[in-house]
Amino acid sequence: MSHGLVKRLSLCLCSALLVASCAKQNKQAFYNTGIIYCSESNPVTFNPQLDTSSTTSDASSHQLYDRLLDFDPESGRIVPSLASSWLVTDDGLTYAFQLRKDVWFHTTKYFTPSRNFNADDVIFSIDRWRLTSHPYHYISGGRYPYFESIGLAQNIAAVERINGYRVEITLKRRDSSFLANLATDFAVILSEEYATQLSQAGTPSKIDELPIGTGPFKFESYRKDHFIKYRRHDNYWRSSLSTAEDDTAPPDNNRESEVRVDDQNQAFGDNTPNDGEQTTVEQLIFDITPRSSLRLAKLMTGECDATAFPAQTELEVIRAKDDLILAEKPGLNIGFWAFNTQRPPFDNPDVRRALAAAIDKNTLLEAVYFDSAIRAKTLLPAASWAFQNDADDTAYNPVLARKLLADAGIETGFSMTIWAMPVERAYNPNATKMAELIQRYLRDVGVEATIVSYDWTTFRRHLREGLHDSVLIGWSADNGDPDNFYRPLLSCGAIPSGTNRAMWCNQDYDRLINDALETDDIEARKAIYRQVNRLLYERLPLVPIAHAYRYQAYRAELEGIKINPFGGVRFGGVEKTL
Amino acid sequence: MTQILVRYCTLLILTLLVLTIISFSLAYLFPGDVLENLTGLVPQNDIQRAALEKQFKLDQSYVHQFVYYVSNLLTGEWGYSFTSGLPLREEVGIAMPATIELATYAMLMALFIGIPLGYYAGIRCYSTSDYAINSASITIYSFPVFWFALLLILIFSLQLDVAPLSGRISLLYHIEPVSGFILIDILLADTENKSLALKDALSHLALPTFAIGAIATASMARMARRSVIDVKHRPYIAAAISRGLSSWQIFFRHILRNALLPILPLMAIQITTLITNAMIVETLFSWPGIGNWLIQAIYQRDYPALRIGMMAVSTVVITLTILVDLFNRVIDPSREKYERAAV
Amino acid sequence: MLALFVVFALFAPIITPYDALEQNIDGLLIPPSWMANGSISYLFGTDALGRDLFTRIIYGCRVTLGSAFITVVLAMLVGVSLGAFAGMLRGVRSSVANHLLDALMAIPTLLIAIIIVAILGTGLVNSMWAITLALIPQFVHHTRSFVRGEMKKEYIIASKLDGASKWQLFVHSILPNMTEMLVVQGTLALSIAVIDISALGFLNLGAQSPLPELGVILADGLDVTYLAPWNVAVPGMAVFFMVLSINIVGDGLRSALRKRVSY
Repeated sequence: MSHGLVKRLSLCLCSALLVASCAKQNKQAFYNTGIIYCSESNPVTFNPQLDTSSTTSDASSHQLYDRLLDFDPESGRIVPSLASSWLVTDDGLTYAFQLRKDVWFHTTKYFTPSRNFNADDVIFSIDRWRLTSHPYHYISGGRYPYFESIGLAQNIAAVERINGYRVEITLKRRDSSFLANLATDFAVILSEEYATQLSQAGTPSKIDELPIGTGPFKFESYRKDHFIKYRRHDNYWRSSLSTAEDDTAPPDNNRESEVRVDDQNQAFGDNTPNDGEQTTVEQLIFDITPRSSLRLAKLMTGECDATAFPAQTELEVIRAKDDLILAEKPGLNIGFWAFNTQRPPFDNPDVRRALAAAIDKNTLLEAVYFDSAIRAKTLLPAASWAFQNDADDTAYNPVLARKLLADAGIETGFSMTIWAMPVERAYNPNATKMAELIQRYLRDVGVEATIVSYDWTTFRRHLREGLHDSVLIGWSADNGDPDNFYRPLLSCGAIPSGTNRAMWCNQDYDRLINDALETDDIEARKAIYRQVNRLLYERLPLVPIAHAYRYQAYRAELEGIKINPFGGVRFGGVEKTL
Repeated sequence: MTQILVRYCTLLILTLLVLTIISFSLAYLFPGDVLENLTGLVPQNDIQRAALEKQFKLDQSYVHQFVYYVSNLLTGEWGYSFTSGLPLREEVGIAMPATIELATYAMLMALFIGIPLGYYAGIRCYSTSDYAINSASITIYSFPVFWFALLLILIFSLQLDVAPLSGRISLLYHIEPVSGFILIDILLADTENKSLALKDALSHLALPTFAIGAIATASMARMARRSVIDVKHRPYIAAAISRGLSSWQIFFRHILRNALLPILPLMAIQITTLITNAMIVETLFSWPGIGNWLIQAIYQRDYPALRIGMMAVSTVVITLTILVDLFNRVIDPSREKYERAAV
Repeated sequence: MLALFVVFALFAPIITPYDALEQNIDGLLIPPSWMANGSISYLFGTDALGRDLFTRIIYGCRVTLGSAFITVVLAMLVGVSLGAFAGMLRGVRSSVANHLLDALMAIPTLLIAIIIVAILGTGLVNSMWAITLALIPQFVHHTRSFVRGEMKKEYIIASKLDGASKWQLFVHSILPNMTEMLVVQGTLALSIAVIDISALGFLNLGAQSPLPELGVILADGLDVTYLAPWNVAVPGMAVFFMVLSINIVGDGLRSALRKRVSY
């Protein structure tokens, strides 16, 4: 009798253990089908053409959409994406793109594609921001800040459909950064079929709220301040691609047009960044968590698998933990203090020089960046090919500052505002703290500074309206070209789009940077940019402060996640292992 | 009986009326332009302004507007939030049950753990176990709730990795919000991973409930203890002892119910404290309840949300309080006046 | 312990070695003196901006305790007068008003604070108004019931027969007897006020950074919790001990009162 009892008991125990381990495995299996990413803020829209903020790009650009071209995150070279190959004429004015076949748009509750991707979609996507007469141009506001700031719409003469899978774009002037601009986060390809369907239904703005693209994930739902939910795109074109299948043709020597090979970019034929089979990740969720300490906490407990913008103070903690990984890369970014040069007395370059001399940049670097940034002398970081190591830089000199202020007629007790952005960015992880430190320095030279801040969307809106005296903000490059720093930040054309925070317009400057685009010769461009740096040092519309490292913090179970120095975070191809 | 009911009903309606007047006048008290505060739209010119005013009835007398406001409230037209653009009714409908769920579980914890503990301490008053319970309860009661919650997070979430610290359930689960109470919703939903989801939800509930519940438990324990001690010194207990009843009999027949009666009204104040604590703790745990929602609304100066939120919370709290009072009055008509707080 | 806090509050500027707002850039996040890297010159370490934590805590005690005290006193004054007035009245109107007030007493403090912050803006003073408003009904209620109860007693009737007016009745007869009840209620209210003021400071609805208030110091420390946990531990403990001491003192007073009454 007892023998049977023991047997039954042990059987019970065994089965219980089995069930428990099964349950644990079930739980693990379930959790591996989803990736949760802690994001720091709400996206403004789901179409990155309409906004330059990295939150919007992170949420949409690489998740929902593809571009014609892409940057390889390791080498920075331009590689094919939706355009499988391209040719450029000798005069550098006509670009012909061969489009990839068998690419499908998302199928969701609100849209089912009846055809695959073709030239019409490319033409629609470009013409939308290029032509003010386009029916979709003014939908959702009509502002395309990135393209406006580089003036691309003015430079494109024509976009022609050669056949279903070939598009030709003709420029008016040579632009050696054109291909780079097409690879930025903002140059996404939308679905023309979806757009037609929406405008027939009378709800065209939904194209930016309920997005359709060709990217690895499709949109499912969005709750402001809470989450964004995405689902895997089962027909994603990259999943069916493998390294062997490269459908790019080698250059044909019999062609009349020559293949253009930029010095800094290789034209085509490289591996696409994220090849692989169908990912096992079915869900991608963005958990919107504005506080960075909470993001770190969620990363530590596993409630998030990866997080955005870890604060500088947290980096050591992440490095110390075994189940977390901190990836770092020198960033292509700049954090700066910009003056509103349209407001007196900040229109006086001597006043700006005085204020710049009043602060000690090294202290700011230490206190705010905790050694994860390098002091910035000019706009360009060392990672850029046009970096100038021997550029002039402002030095900490409070005596000079006081003298210059007095000469300019600024009295002691002069008050100004410093606008500090409320979000963390790689280029400035704690603008409020920096503002407080600057406040102290300014007090020493007799200037009383008040710190102003709003929630991020309101903040940027007010900046665009020019309500600030000075602002602590920065810029992350969208492509590897130095023009991507100089033009959107300080050119005249960038003021209406809001990226020129100093509201500075200088004809010499504009002329110089335009000249730099005329040539493809690297040395010539470098020389021009040296002149530009000199001009900026003399006029000081902004004080460059730091170039920061970029960090990505994630749990060790994630594989395939890489830092993309040229754009937003990418989750296509990221897997989760046990 | 009916007279009492009528009295309490009138009290409820009167109080709600006062609240509605207050929340109505908030629109005029908030800084800034009234029209902008109510609608979130900035009129570009006078024509637009006039049209908007007409649409929102701002051009009519205060009484008129008040009537309009009340009728809107009753029909469910609560307006829209500035920040999210969603109808406020939906937002409150999601947020309110979350807080009520949290508060309910904490209350249950306080009732079922606090009262027995208090009884135990009271029966064995001035003994070592009484001292232990008393000092423990006064210590826990003195914790500021936000610090207590923070400590719990630091120890249990981050050091020991036992419980999660944000939200009601992992975002990977898709649970349709039918009732607003997550445990019920999981049981009603049609996903395959019900048991996983339940476990997940329970682990998310654990820390916040404990944070609020512990303080409420301590408070309840103290009140119960005080009440038991008071009852023990009453003459009829002495009479019962002299009659020869055993301590168990005394306990069950006399002390239990008689000590319970005075603390029931004190529960009304407990509800208030519980909801306040829940609102504070929600911010720490990112719990999507009405407290978190209101605090986000105040950060973003979302005036319509503030009005409706204030209205919603006060209505719930006051209704509960009056119900508790009514209940007390019904079961114990011998008391002439209800005591509110005498620990 | 309570006495210690009172001393802190009153003598803060004399005791503290540093200015509460002064930032020491070179000394960021120094650990407290009992840990390995700490130094005795910074007893509790420094916070993320280099401010000495010990100084801030002492000032913080002053701010928190001081404002809580003022709040309670104010609430007491207003509440007692209203309650006395209501207690001496008779009739349906007073009863209605009383019931109403009791019902309104149920509104959570945080809610009142949120509304007041929405109307008046953030800041320590505004949060004090909010908490005063929230505490008044309590005093009103207790005063009213006390006064009502006293009015029935013989010595009051005797004074009335003597010809005393209502005002004299109140001041000379009832008030002295009320002091004990007031003290007890006051300590209860004080502990509530301390917790509420620090909670509001923590939520950024009351005192604002860089004002040293214990809740604000705690909130500031949240960002560096893992690097420098003392930033969070110490202010929290300060509030905790403050409230604990108030509660213990209050408890003791209550027991003493009860003993007196029952014998």
